[in-house]
Amino acid sequence: MKRTHFVSSALSVAFLGGTGANALAQVAASAAPLPGFASGVDPDNVLVVVQMGGGNDGLNTVVPWSDDAYHRVRPAIRVAENQVLRLDDRIGFNPALKGLNELYKQGRVALVQGVGYPSPNRSHFEATQIWETASPDRPQQYGWLGRYLDKRFSGGAKPASMFEAVSLGDSLPAALVASHVEVPAIGALNAFAYNTGRDLASKQSAGVLYDGAKAGQSPYLAMIAQTARDAYHGGDVLRKQTAQFTNKATYAPNGFAQQLALAAKLIGSTAGSKIVFVSIGSFDTHAGQRAQQDRLLGYLGDGLLAFYQDLAAHGLDKKVLTMTFSEFGRRVAQNASNGTDHGTAMPLFIVGGGVKGGIYGEHPSLTDLDHGDLKFATDFRAVYATVIEKWLGRNPGDVLGATYPTLAFV
Amino acid sequence: MLAPKMDTSTDPQVGFRPPGSLDAATALQPYAGRFGPRHAAHLLRRAGFGGSQDDVARVAALGMTGAVDSLLHPTAPDADFPPFPDVAVLYDPKKNRAAAQLWWLDRMLRTNRPLVEKMTLFWHGHFATSVQKVQPAPMVGQINLFRQFALGRFPALLSAVTRDPAMLIWLDNRANAKAHPNENYAREVMELFALGLGNYTEDDVKEAARAFTGWTVDKNQQAAFVPARHDDGTKTVLGRTGSFNADDAIAIIVSQPVHQRFIARKLLEFFVYSDPEPELIEAAAQVYAVSGFDVARTVGTILRSNVFYSPRAYRAIPKSPIEFAVGTLRYIGAQSVPQNLPYQLARMGQEPLNPPSVKGWDGGPAWINTSTLLARFNFVNGLVAQTAPGKDGRPAVSAPNVAPDDLVRRAGMDASQIAAAIVAGVVQDDVTSDVRATLVAYLNSQNPSAAVQNPLPFGPENYQDKIRGALALTLNLPVNQLD
Repeated sequence: MKRTHFVSSALSVAFLGGTGANALAQVAASAAPLPGFASGVDPDNVLVVVQMGGGNDGLNTVVPWSDDAYHRVRPAIRVAENQVLRLDDRIGFNPALKGLNELYKQGRVALVQGVGYPSPNRSHFEATQIWETASPDRPQQYGWLGRYLDKRFSGGAKPASMFEAVSLGDSLPAALVASHVEVPAIGALNAFAYNTGRDLASKQSAGVLYDGAKAGQSPYLAMIAQTARDAYHGGDVLRKQTAQFTNKATYAPNGFAQQLALAAKLIGSTAGSKIVFVSIGSFDTHAGQRAQQDRLLGYLGDGLLAFYQDLAAHGLDKKVLTMTFSEFGRRVAQNASNGTDHGTAMPLFIVGGGVKGGIYGEHPSLTDLDHGDLKFATDFRAVYATVIEKWLGRNPGDVLGATYPTLAFV
Repeated sequence: MLAPKMDTSTDPQVGFRPPGSLDAATALQPYAGRFGPRHAAHLLRRAGFGGSQDDVARVAALGMTGAVDSLLHPTAPDADFPPFPDVAVLYDPKKNRAAAQLWWLDRMLRTNRPLVEKMTLFWHGHFATSVQKVQPAPMVGQINLFRQFALGRFPALLSAVTRDPAMLIWLDNRANAKAHPNENYAREVMELFALGLGNYTEDDVKEAARAFTGWTVDKNQQAAFVPARHDDGTKTVLGRTGSFNADDAIAIIVSQPVHQRFIARKLLEFFVYSDPEPELIEAAAQVYAVSGFDVARTVGTILRSNVFYSPRAYRAIPKSPIEFAVGTLRYIGAQSVPQNLPYQLARMGQEPLNPPSVKGWDGGPAWINTSTLLARFNFVNGLVAQTAPGKDGRPAVSAPNVAPDDLVRRAGMDASQIAAAIVAGVVQDDVTSDVRATLVAYLNSQNPSAAVQNPLPFGPENYQDKIRGALALTLNLPVNQLD
């Protein structure tokens, strides 16, 4: 089968979602530029992107439990039929995803199956660049979220908060590299600070220097002085703002759950973050997959459950949409080390009170393969286009450089 | 005429583009004005990684021509640097990335051939290759190649890069064979390495890719030419037709007039300012063409030129993180690199051997955002003010030039003299009077300083910590983020 078939089958997913006419209208509308926000989209909508780094094995995440082929090619690492958290008579969640399953039962999880793109790349670095810049063919300078931010704040518009978009980590992911919107990388609340140890006089003096910095007529000096002021005061502002918000759920002590706890503070406080990037590693399970992946999936599902409990307690669960991604799925058959090697298509999850829960797209076939790999059914850029248009209210073509069919999960 | 005015003001308008247009006819003519510490420091920042106050004085004493010659044609033997990191760590997957990065950073810090190392860094950004896809061992080999060709002729460099194992892996030319061509390398040679977008067609890429077939990497990670994989048929590249091989394609590509402007622009952006005028690019392209694509002669002309010493160029480029960090270490006389420097540089936005993409680092204003500036500031605070000492409580690196005792001996136990000495040393007096006043106020402040719980103002009890604090504040000034 030709790959074009799968692209067009992604289009049909949008039409199957029960809002055929709507979806059609939106596909058509997305060709025309949307000035500001599309009607019906709340400008306070928040997007949280979860990177599952290392390449998450889709088949042990959403398990095709009734397919004999699955049990045959994965004798040592399969999830047994009686352990699967069943979604229907064919597929179910890995039992480690009990937290996500809870959200699914509440109708807050859209499972998009078989997501990928033509001629998939199997290098972690290159595939991550492809997903984060939404550009399989050529490397791009700016990320897909960076380009969205540049469009959102074009013509000199400034975000209301310097934490409009944040990455929770020590460095900025390619997805958030923007041309003229600044995105802070915040490893931890206390690390985002001008640190002079016990020398308080030095800290105060730095403030005097930055506040009083004269730039003369140097454009760079003016920019650096302003950024220095933002950096110097930003940590204090952030700590003060986020102190108003109390997490109302219990987050596990793992790094991912703690990132989500901070994300809730950034979203729910006057910091007012609208785009938050979080990450969870190490899904690169070449050996001993079950123990490692199950642990991480547990962190993922339980973390998201706590996150949405917290958001719901603050009346924010309908305002926050969370989307997962991973640079690739893994091979269909297990390898000799009870792991799996780099593969292709995988499922991703869209979570939130504003999400139309359910299953989108067909589970990829385990027998109709492309060189032993799963064939993708939905292009990942169709998922991005849906989020950009229906959740963030912008024209996806402006960001993605082409028009993609949207899905019905929002 | 470009009047050199940088020594006259104590309240300079740095990075300020003066009114009037560039005099293209004289811009690249040799500069004949005064060559003082400000000029010497400017030259050392651009053509190296800065230096200590003594380094600046030594370079200033050479005069402009002597100073540039000493950078372009260093005669003194360099320190004895190992050609590779220790093999014990080079192949240890847990350590080799940091080991390779520290191996290079140490050389940037200690070499007495700073322009060679600066050009090595320039080529690393130009031919941006990353440990994300290439093992540290071939990455080190590529850096050694850039150093070997740092100031040589560009076509020879491009020819060597084409056969470089790290590049063969990075841009997939190892998979480029007659039976299944891979265009990745050919495309980047045209777009990123030699011509720029819009100066070739898709067919040129396809045809040049055929010329690059056959070059691959053998099982020992060495470059190898496999004739059976080479497509020796007729190709048409940029209007020329023949049964071209890799070096033929390179010769055709660099013979495009647009190539001269492409390299001229990149060198001007790196050494002079970020938006060189078309006339300046044209003039530098002429120099490059007449020199036979000789990088040393082109760079030498730039470093001796009127425009290089003009107010147009002075502190007109944001420092890269590597320039800032290595410059700080050189200023304080560090004899070694802090072991966590690669991590700190990653937070500042420029981890060596790990550029963000094949396009390299954006550079310029993109270096500066709140997270990356905080990373710079806290690096300095940790290193110089020692808010983050090493494990045993001692400084992470020894910094002989911080020497508060020497400073007090020279300037006296006098806060305003000390502040004056620090701003002269770090930023060549490029500060306003209120910056001096703030530094003096800090030195005289009655807050307890870091290590001495002593409310006294600047004096014998706490001058060491106060001097370190004032030095950190000065290194963290916005103006010191500019080259």
